[in-house]
Amino acid sequence: MGETRPLAVLLAYEEEAAIGRTVEELRRELPEAALLVVDDGSSDRTAAAARAAGARVARHPFNLGVAAAEATGLRYALRHGHPAVVRMDGDGQHDPKSARELLGAVERGAELAVGSRFLEREGFQSSAARRAGNALLARIVSSLCGQSVTDPTSGLRAFGGRAIPFFAERFPHDYPEPESLVWAHRAGLCVEEIPVQMRPRLAGRSSLTPWKSGYYMVKVTLALGLELARGRSRA
Amino acid sequence: MTRSSLLVLAFALAFAVAILASARRHRTEERHTLAWLLVCAAIAALAIWRPAIDLLARAMGIYYAPSALFFLSLAAVLWIVFRLSLDVARQKEQLRTLAQEVAILTVEREPAATFEHERESA
Repeated sequence: MGETRPLAVLLAYEEEAAIGRTVEELRRELPEAALLVVDDGSSDRTAAAARAAGARVARHPFNLGVAAAEATGLRYALRHGHPAVVRMDGDGQHDPKSARELLGAVERGAELAVGSRFLEREGFQSSAARRAGNALLARIVSSLCGQSVTDPTSGLRAFGGRAIPFFAERFPHDYPEPESLVWAHRAGLCVEEIPVQMRPRLAGRSSLTPWKSGYYMVKVTLALGLELARGRSRA
Repeated sequence: MTRSSLLVLAFALAFAVAILASARRHRTEERHTLAWLLVCAAIAALAIWRPAIDLLARAMGIYYAPSALFFLSLAAVLWIVFRLSLDVARQKEQLRTLAQEVAILTVEREPAATFEHERESA
């Protein structure tokens, strides 16, 4: 308790090649933040590499998925009294400067600040198919939220205020980003999108293959549909 | 009593014995034990009182009596499987929370050496 620094949470799964450099860069570029690496049960030397680079590491005893890893970071922040949390990926795709901008938004009162690649089309933009999928999701999420959302799958996001205990306790299954945006709106949290640039990953490869992406789209759409049904039954 | 009745009765009895044996070793919960014993009793009852199936089928408006039996048993099995899947989901949730707690609690304790050791012995 008594911690006044924001907490940067790096999510890492099988990232031994990139996590060391990511940690070092973050310590250099974002010295005002405390740093926690959540190793989601990697079988390689991710945790050891992160510790060697000077990070604190919370290690899941087995793989729980990115949603749970994010919640672990928030639980840690809650327990130690960090007033703000920025979640980043361990593969180096997220720029520490963007993290600082998101933390700034939280300081100004946002409870969930999401880094969007599409507010200003700059930096690394991923493939056309994935952008099309993203555009579809963005329309669904925007209509559910009644607020424009341009990058619903962005994993670069900062939490503050009520959002920390809220998302420490509950998290959607599998890929959490679009659903959690809807949850945040339903809970009346103050959500804000901030333009950011992303970089190609330092090492390793994306876990999303075309097949998986298609399956992901179907599952997320179903989950969002369920969310709609819940809202109606509650009203 | 016909041979088929005896066969089904023997099955129900064996099932009941298996349930009670598991219950004795605290491998089942009481409510489950009771539910399974009721299933055994229903099977035994149908084996002894054969016309029950026909009465049941007629009451359900089913012409071919065995169909009624298939329908009822399939519905029961589906219900049980569904309940089990709910249990599994709940336990997965609990396990996940537990794992998160473990991760947070070990942050301060520098468990690097332990984990490396574990990996070598694995």
